[in-house]
Amino acid sequence: MFETLLSFLIFGTIQGSIYALLAMGFSLVYGVGGILNQAHGAFYVITAYIFYSCYINIPQYGYIIGIIISLIATTIVGGLVYLLLIKPLKESHVGVVIVTFAFAFFIERFVSIAVDSIYHNMPYLIVGYFTFFGVNIQYQYIIILIVSLLLLLLISLFINKLKIGKSIRAVAQDSEAASLMGINVDRILAYTLMISAFLASMAAILYVPVETVAPHIGWNVLLNSFAIVVLGGLGSLHGSVIGAFIIAYSRSFTNYFLDPVFSALIPIIVIVIVLVLRPRGLFGKKEIK
Amino acid sequence: MEIKNLTKKFAGLTAVNDMSFEIHRGEFVGLIGPNGAGKTTIFNLISGIEKPTSGTIRFDGRDITGMATHKIVNLGLIRTFQLVRSFKFMTLLDNINVSCLSPRGKRIAKDYGIDEYSSTILASVGLIDKARLPPVILPHGDLRKLQIGKALGTNPQLLLLDEPFSGLSHEEAVAITDLIKSLHSDGVTVFVTGHVLRELMGLVPRVIAMHQGKFIADGPPKEVANNKIVLEAYLGRGGEFART
Amino acid sequence: MKINYEFSDFKIYLRDWIRTFRGKLTVLCLIGFVLLPLTADSYIIGIFNTFMIFTVFAASWDFLAGFVGQVSFGHAIFLGIAGYVTAFTIRYLNFPWGLSLILGSVIAVLFGLIIGVPALRLKGPYLALGTLAMSLILYQLFLMGSLAILWENAFPGTILFGTDGIGQVPPISPNPSISYLVIFLIMCSSLIILTHLGKSKLGTIFKSIRDDETGAKASGINTTKYKILAFMISGFFAGIAGGLYTIRLSGVNPGNYQPLYSFYAIIMASVGGLATISGSVLGAFIFVFLGEILRLLGDNPNISDMFGGFTEPIFIFSVILILIIRFAEHGLLKPVLERLQEVWDLLLGR
Repeated sequence: MFETLLSFLIFGTIQGSIYALLAMGFSLVYGVGGILNQAHGAFYVITAYIFYSCYINIPQYGYIIGIIISLIATTIVGGLVYLLLIKPLKESHVGVVIVTFAFAFFIERFVSIAVDSIYHNMPYLIVGYFTFFGVNIQYQYIIILIVSLLLLLLISLFINKLKIGKSIRAVAQDSEAASLMGINVDRILAYTLMISAFLASMAAILYVPVETVAPHIGWNVLLNSFAIVVLGGLGSLHGSVIGAFIIAYSRSFTNYFLDPVFSALIPIIVIVIVLVLRPRGLFGKKEIK
Repeated sequence: MEIKNLTKKFAGLTAVNDMSFEIHRGEFVGLIGPNGAGKTTIFNLISGIEKPTSGTIRFDGRDITGMATHKIVNLGLIRTFQLVRSFKFMTLLDNINVSCLSPRGKRIAKDYGIDEYSSTILASVGLIDKARLPPVILPHGDLRKLQIGKALGTNPQLLLLDEPFSGLSHEEAVAITDLIKSLHSDGVTVFVTGHVLRELMGLVPRVIAMHQGKFIADGPPKEVANNKIVLEAYLGRGGEFART
Repeated sequence: MKINYEFSDFKIYLRDWIRTFRGKLTVLCLIGFVLLPLTADSYIIGIFNTFMIFTVFAASWDFLAGFVGQVSFGHAIFLGIAGYVTAFTIRYLNFPWGLSLILGSVIAVLFGLIIGVPALRLKGPYLALGTLAMSLILYQLFLMGSLAILWENAFPGTILFGTDGIGQVPPISPNPSISYLVIFLIMCSSLIILTHLGKSKLGTIFKSIRDDETGAKASGINTTKYKILAFMISGFFAGIAGGLYTIRLSGVNPGNYQPLYSFYAIIMASVGGLATISGSVLGAFIFVFLGEILRLLGDNPNISDMFGGFTEPIFIFSVILILIIRFAEHGLLKPVLERLQEVWDLLLGR
């Protein structure tokens, strides 16, 4: 019983950290640009496949090289998605949403053609585990926890202290006013997308070894990011992090103590309940904090 | 209509501060104040587009504070917008049809046939010859007429006109003024805002003045025009007032 | 909604319409459709069946997105639920196919409302992702082996959940030509109903919501009520398509819930042109036939050497969709019709 409790806590925390990274990027793009980026899952998939391809094709250092290349490539793709897909369609909300949706499929098909569509597994960064009160905890989990928390802190500092971060917050509040103050809204949006892609990419690097590599993994990323952001409040970064852990622990709880069926149902239940009872989520506001 | 202690705060800014006033059936009232005084916000609050932070609004004996816009419209309280709104991809006739298809509008329109009724309205605002055209090609003055037409489709009891004269040439303004006057003589209660005073002061027998969200005066135009506080509010803003 | 035509008025309307180019083109196509079963083999008939079913599916999505301005990314919900209900009631309860179709659509709409009502009450981008979320979850749910076992224990002899889905669903009629004609009639009625709704006063209200929702509210329209109504109409026809699709494939499986099918609807409607029901026809045509051509090309070893799998239909279509939205946002229907008319005039020497 105690072991199950511990496992539930550990796994919930790990999943929560990953969800937080993903949801934060998603929320950032919405808060700053008003865009629900359907291609968010695609960033995850791109990283996963570049990472995997490097790993199996480059001897010895493939793993590390994979991490570096996929991070850089995905971040660049984030910028390109903004430049080529989102920016030209800024007047048409419908257009942006459809085009990013199409991009998600494009990537899903592309990787299954360029690589393959079979499930693959990646090894952990550091193999091995230690035992804690009878439960085996993989070193990878600790890495995930530490790196995600570091990243979340970094992003937090970035947004709040650095000049670019302040520009981002300004655009999130009022893009017209921000541009009147001399901020290049265009560039800020591009950066925001790149940050979002970067976060998704890091999440993939950390978590893909725990799950699998497959073309469809992007959809769950999108699904969970949306549920988290609805729960936390569209546009609230705090809310995304808190929402991420709430949903992660709920899923973990239902997995360990109830039935996996309920775990799968959680995102939609959360979405429906939040939209009916408190549409703006827990911390929903227009400003980013 | 009765407004009591109406307040609306946005983050850090009090747009409407404790306003109270009454408008009786059949009246013709103006709302003046310099730009940014809060006139449009008051209209937004009355018409349900925004919810007040505190205070109440009553119409025809009912409390409509915070009610949904379409419900308020169906009680007979209609507003037009400062930035003209229209259904860009439909004909003028269809634009009016939409109002006639609201529950309140339909009650009257269905006896005549929706299209026929809308045509009558278009004719009464002088746009019948453009009935099959879309709003995109209309000059500004015609768009304002369309707005009034759309309001007529819902059979207004109290009509809130938000800056109906802004952006109009002199002829266009005269046409709109005549239209509004005839509406009033047909029994519609009219509440008009403006920040350029010349047209307004000559039109209405009663004026309410506000500045920075607060109520400052209420009475016949000549009185309000000579009110010290009103003078300060306007002269402080660069003497638009001087035109009166 | 009263159809106030006198019959003689309608005859005049019809006669004038046939005189137009579009009218002639449509009649030609209709005649071609009806005659098809006499000439073609079952493979071609099968493709046309799929085409007709997808037309209804695309038109249902287009109705919601193009006329009312509400974008759904989860139309697969309707496809799947209607499919499962249809399959289940035909196979295990021996309902006639007509009843199953309607029942499937109705139940699909009810499920759709679970996410539809909360999303449509609000202003904001909730419908698109909300419907996507629900379709993904239905997909996961119906894949679950554990649920499959639970169901079989509760209702032995029947299958509902599980990767295999429900199979062995019989066709509408043992005669493929009759099945074809039935599907044809259903498609025509659906398209006529949807077009008529779009042009009616109800359609005017829908379009006002699309063009300016706040303005519509300021004109006294209860926009939430009408958005939900449109969602239900759209879902109903998507459900009809779903039921027919299941019958066509003789079965249904969790795959019907994939975002892929929602994407199909979007591709077809967008390529053809939003807010035109006939655009959905064109879009579905391009999608089904081009898709089949690409698939055959992919099987051809020469082509696959050259392009190595990149002829995969969805891959190509995602690129096409991106290009079209970027450069030809209103779809291809109008330009294509204009070109065709030019050619026609040319041939007649005008």
